[in-house]
Order: sequence, then structure tokens, then C-alpha cells
Amino acid sequence: MDTNGASNRRFGLFEGTAASNRSNPNNFLVVIPARNEERTVGAVVRDIKTRHQCCVVVVDDASTDRTRSVALTAGAAVLKLPFPMGAWCATQAGMRYGLKHDYQYVVTMDADGQHHARSVAKIINSVQSGEADVAVGACPHRLSPAKRVAWAYFRTLTRLSIKDFTSGLRAYNLRAIAILSRRYASLLDYQDIGVLMLLQREGLVIKEIPVTMSARQAGHSRVFSSWFVVTKYMLQTSVLCLSRLGPKNPQRAATRIEAGTP
Amino acid sequence: MSYQITTSLIGLLLAASILYLVRRDRLHGPYALWWLTVAAITVLLGVFPKIIDVLAAYTGVSYPPNLLFSLAIGLLLLKMLKADIESSRHERRIRRLGQKMAILAEENLRLQAEIEADDITADRQAQRQ
Repeated sequence: MDTNGASNRRFGLFEGTAASNRSNPNNFLVVIPARNEERTVGAVVRDIKTRHQCCVVVVDDASTDRTRSVALTAGAAVLKLPFPMGAWCATQAGMRYGLKHDYQYVVTMDADGQHHARSVAKIINSVQSGEADVAVGACPHRLSPAKRVAWAYFRTLTRLSIKDFTSGLRAYNLRAIAILSRRYASLLDYQDIGVLMLLQREGLVIKEIPVTMSARQAGHSRVFSSWFVVTKYMLQTSVLCLSRLGPKNPQRAATRIEAGTP
Repeated sequence: MSYQITTSLIGLLLAASILYLVRRDRLHGPYALWWLTVAAITVLLGVFPKIIDVLAAYTGVSYPPNLLFSLAIGLLLLKMLKADIESSRHERRIRRLGQKMAILAEENLRLQAEIEADDITADRQAQRQ
């Protein structure tokens, strides 16, 4: 499965043990969900590792290409999901990993190279300083007119004050990680509105940080790929929004339903 | 009498195929019970179609087949709803299991590497002495 070389590189990567993770308040984990991103994931991981002394976890969403070995060679730890479960559940796997290994913060970013490693410091700082529980790296002027209309619609529906819902460049503190690692977040299909609404309902402070992003080097948006998918996404997210309206606490019902789930 | 034979035959056929599926381990406990009940009711109504007429008279339904079809559609909708709820629950469980599996596999790999590295240093120390 793995060559010895890869294993030894991995050994060097994990000098920080769980105990030292807890004692170092600045420690954070970078989680990169990736599905068939062998062309870009290596550069993304290396870019992060040259700028920050942090651990990088690539969550391989059952890729059929060499994403896993490219990420390992670049110095990341890799969680290989046994079957594709979508970008959000891949991210959640990374969060559960971070929670288990006592990281205080998790930064998520896309594997396709549209987020810059230099933006990471900016968003992690606003979470580490305590001014927000969740920081979203936003680049509103990259949005197409259709997306602007869609987001305006969802903003009124959800009363979220975020401009860039779909941005995958985010930093979460321990409180947010603990909430998002729970069972009832495992059935969300997209990381955008459902996740943000969950955090908002738990009373967490979400802050948007303006950053620059580049056009995707490879691949395309999973959501905005065809009209059929867009319609499905809009309807599904609308139902999700409507089902979460009102002040009731979803947590109580959810824990009752889901008791005994791994 | 001929339609009575047809319906009871259909009911018997259904019951037989369900029993066969249960014997081959294709249907899991509670589902088998549900489908066997359906088969039993089909046979019963096939042999005694008057039951529906009596029930319709009791409930005030003027056209008995309406009662039969409404009940059947209602039960099917409930059953489908239950199946979707269950499949959502399974989806959640499978996703969480997959995530956990990936995390454990990663930790296992790391521990193996640590053991190998420890072995190498132990070997070197043994050689020095």
C-alpha cells in the first residue's frame, strides 16, 4: 500500500503529539477535502507547509486518481474515505480528526488552488484573537450575477449576513469544530448554508474576511455545473432553510434520534 | 367465482415469494413480517371479497373499491416514508463509519511508521554497544 519512504515522511510530520497540541494555543490543523485533484493538491499542500508550521490533512473523497499519493508526497496526512460522500462530509472527517487530536483550530481550504496559502494567516488570526468563532474568507466580486441573485434569496431566507456562502476557505475554533463534528451535521450535503445556519443557531459569531482568490486551475464548481444540478441544489437548500426556521433547538431532537450512531 | 380465484392466487403467490426471500436471507426480520401480513391480507380479501363491502357499509363509503384503494395507497405511502427515514439514518451511520474508518486507518499507518523508526534506532544502539 504505502512505500517506506512515504511512511518515514509521515513520521517526520507528526512530531507534535496530542499532548503538545493541547499545550500550544496557536496550533491549528489545515483540512483540505479533495476529489480527483492530483494536478493541484500537491502544490496547495507544499504552499501551506512552506508558510506555516502546521499539520495538513488531505481528506481524499474516494478519488480514482493519484490524489492520495500526491498529497502524501507533498507532506500531508491523508484520510482516505472508503466511498465518495461529498465535500462537506470529507471536511467533517477532517474536523473529527482535529477534535480527536486536540487541535484548537481547523482551517479548511479547497484543493483546486483557488485559495491562497497567504490568506490562511489572515483568517486564522481573526479566530485566534477571539473576535469570531468562525472566519470565512470571502471574495464577493468573483460571483456571477446568477449567484448574486441566489445568495440574496438565501440571505433573506436564512437571515445570515454572509456575502460569500460557498467559500471553502474558513477557520473554525474548538467550539465550532465540536458542533460540526456532531452526528446531525453528517447528513448535510453541502458545506455552505446548512453548516452556517447550524453555527448561527448555536449562537456562534461568524465573520467574513475579504481575501483574494484565483480562478480554479482545474475542475469546476460541484454545485454550479449544470442547470439540473443548480435547480436541485436550490430546492434542497430551500427545504433545508425552511425546515430550520424558528427558534427551536434541533439538538435535543437530534440526540434522541441518533443515539448509538458511531 | 373466477375473480376470487385470481386474487387468492395472487395473494398466495406473493406469500410464497416472500417466504422464499426470507428463507434465502434477502429480507430482514421486521420487513419480512410486514410483507407476510400484506400477503395474508391479499389472500383473505381474495377468498372473501365481501369483507370490503361489509367494511364499506360500516364506514359509510358508498363505493367499496374506493375504501380498498384509499387504504392501500395510504399504507403504501406510510411504508415509503418509513423506508426513506430509515435510509437517511443508514446514510448517516455509513458516512460516520467511513469517516471513522479513514481516521483509524491514518492513525494505524502513523503508529506503524513510529514502530519501524523505533526499531531502527534500537538496532543502531545495539550495533554501537
